[in-house]
Amino acid sequence: MTTPMIRPALLGLMLALTAGPALAETAKIGFNAPLTGFAAADGNSARIGAELAVEQANADGGINGQQIELVVYDDQASPKSAVPIANKLIEKDQVVVGVSGSYSGATRAASGVFQAAGVPYIAAYAVHPDITRSGDYVFRTSFVGEVQGRAGAKLIGETLGKKRVVVITLKNDFGQSLAAGFKEKAADYGIEVVAEYEYGIKDRQFGAIVAKVKDDNPDAIYASGYFFTAAPLVSQLRSGGVTVPVIGQEGYDSQKFIEIAQDNAEGIIITTSLDRDSDAAPTRTFIEAFEGKAGFKADMVAASAHTATNVAIEAMRAAGTTDRAAIRDAIAGLTLEASTGTISFNELGEVQKNVQVQVVQDGDWHRHSVISDAELLAPPAE
Amino acid sequence: MLYLELLIQGLVQGGIYTLIALGLTLVYGLLRILHVAHAALFTLGGYLGVILTNATGSLALAMVLTMLVTGVVGMGVYRVAYQPILDKPPYVALIASIALFIASEEIYRLVFGPYGLSYDAPPLQGVIDLFGSGMYLKQAELLVLAGTGAALIGLHLLSTRTRIGIAWRATVTDPEMAASFGIRTQRVRYLNFFIGSALAAAAGVMVALLNNLVEPTMGSVPSYKALAIIVLGGIGSIRGTLIASLALGVIESFGTIYLGSLLDRDAIAFAFLILVLMWRPQGLLGRT
Repeated sequence: MTTPMIRPALLGLMLALTAGPALAETAKIGFNAPLTGFAAADGNSARIGAELAVEQANADGGINGQQIELVVYDDQASPKSAVPIANKLIEKDQVVVGVSGSYSGATRAASGVFQAAGVPYIAAYAVHPDITRSGDYVFRTSFVGEVQGRAGAKLIGETLGKKRVVVITLKNDFGQSLAAGFKEKAADYGIEVVAEYEYGIKDRQFGAIVAKVKDDNPDAIYASGYFFTAAPLVSQLRSGGVTVPVIGQEGYDSQKFIEIAQDNAEGIIITTSLDRDSDAAPTRTFIEAFEGKAGFKADMVAASAHTATNVAIEAMRAAGTTDRAAIRDAIAGLTLEASTGTISFNELGEVQKNVQVQVVQDGDWHRHSVISDAELLAPPAE
Repeated sequence: MLYLELLIQGLVQGGIYTLIALGLTLVYGLLRILHVAHAALFTLGGYLGVILTNATGSLALAMVLTMLVTGVVGMGVYRVAYQPILDKPPYVALIASIALFIASEEIYRLVFGPYGLSYDAPPLQGVIDLFGSGMYLKQAELLVLAGTGAALIGLHLLSTRTRIGIAWRATVTDPEMAASFGIRTQRVRYLNFFIGSALAAAAGVMVALLNNLVEPTMGSVPSYKALAIIVLGGIGSIRGTLIASLALGVIESFGTIYLGSLLDRDAIAFAFLILVLMWRPQGLLGRT
């Protein structure tokens, strides 16, 4: 029961809480990620990565003396959930910046809402090209699929010197944009695409594709997927007698990939954003702190969410205000030493950084090489 | 050579479908319920198989325990979810079943974590070179083919050679008449759920062996594809279920390669279903 005396006090408190960011004691960063449903594993990694960035910043005294709070909602990787969540983050929670730890569908839907409200929004690892085209308040800290696909072509055709390639494509925006980028540059590196197969995200049985790939007899395989599709695919290729190099991308980038595929994971090469053998302090600190916090090894999703959240934090620090427009400008002008390397943004809000090539050796991801061809890796600018 | 390999891969997939869809057919034949939550028991089987194999080090022991436990859980599903609403229209049971299935995915995620589980040392991963021809078959794939055969022979013997099996068939044909002859129909129903769920669990363990991965959502494709299979086979017909499962496995296998750029695997399966239903609305072996 509230007595008449307490009621005005409560009212005052409620007013204070809803009065807006200027009076708030913490600076809020909004975060949407799939914490339930089919993408829950990635959402969970992303959430821990983002929380780690906030904890590290708060331990350093926060932003200009103000503590940071991460407001997390579960979007189930669904565009339907992402829109109300974006509205809630902006209207109710009054977040200063939004970060997406989600897939393309949800991120693309939410980015329009953030753009319309004039609140900066940073996509950690969603790949769809249209996300940053929502407007000048939307940024991305990972490569669009096409850029990574082009890096894959250079890796296979030039670094590995393999010329007859079978392309196995995950039939969603991620897989198809990778395949598009790969095929765009394949000829430049002397690669002949001998065959291309597609599979759905729910497929785990690839017996038919394996049989046909054996018949195609390629020099290498460029296969897109996430760790939960790629590990069964790689295992089935190997036990079906296909021994040629398999080149994947950041979707493979998880310790779970190695746990599932076991010995069959050895020698698998991927293009990604996290270099396990990096000497750079932000990367080393992140890898160690993440494993301590999460209890499992860091992956690309975690590193990307950590990077995106740090971009938000650094921009808030640089702007020195909670004014959204000032923070947007700060993000656009930022150059940051992050867990995923040195990053900056082009005029569309796409990230500019090197592609890390990692290979599985003795049950762990290790550095294979780095692709730093700025012209090849130029993100879309419009 | 390629065609033979595609055929064998299709039959392996078909074998998995058979083991899952049999339980669904049995339940529909007996109770006229579309038991969507059956796929949840397939997932449970996968999880128990991996956990028990990792704990005991023996796949055989894990397989037996998994089938027993999942069978009993299946009986529990009947007792708790279906028995109280048997006198309601069939869609009530269908809605309950769908709700149960959706809830199960989130329960598995909460209990076992979102990342899925794998065998510490996956058993039966060795490959056999068929006819010395460079055509490899995993031991786990052989197990699928053998397990499907064994399940069908076992079901046939049970339903023709044992009293409970004959009682079962009598109950399927006419529950009231069977009851009036002194058959305890309740026992028959429990047996039905036990066998169907145990077979789904076996399929779950085998899929875990093929992929070395069990996930909370691994039942989502079987949940609707098994429905398509029993409709395709002629609802309630065991022989129809077998033929439809194998046919679908083989068609998906060839379709993935030769139609993959047009239609994905599920679309191929459902296009085939529609074509067959246009020609035989009662399903392949269904009675009009």
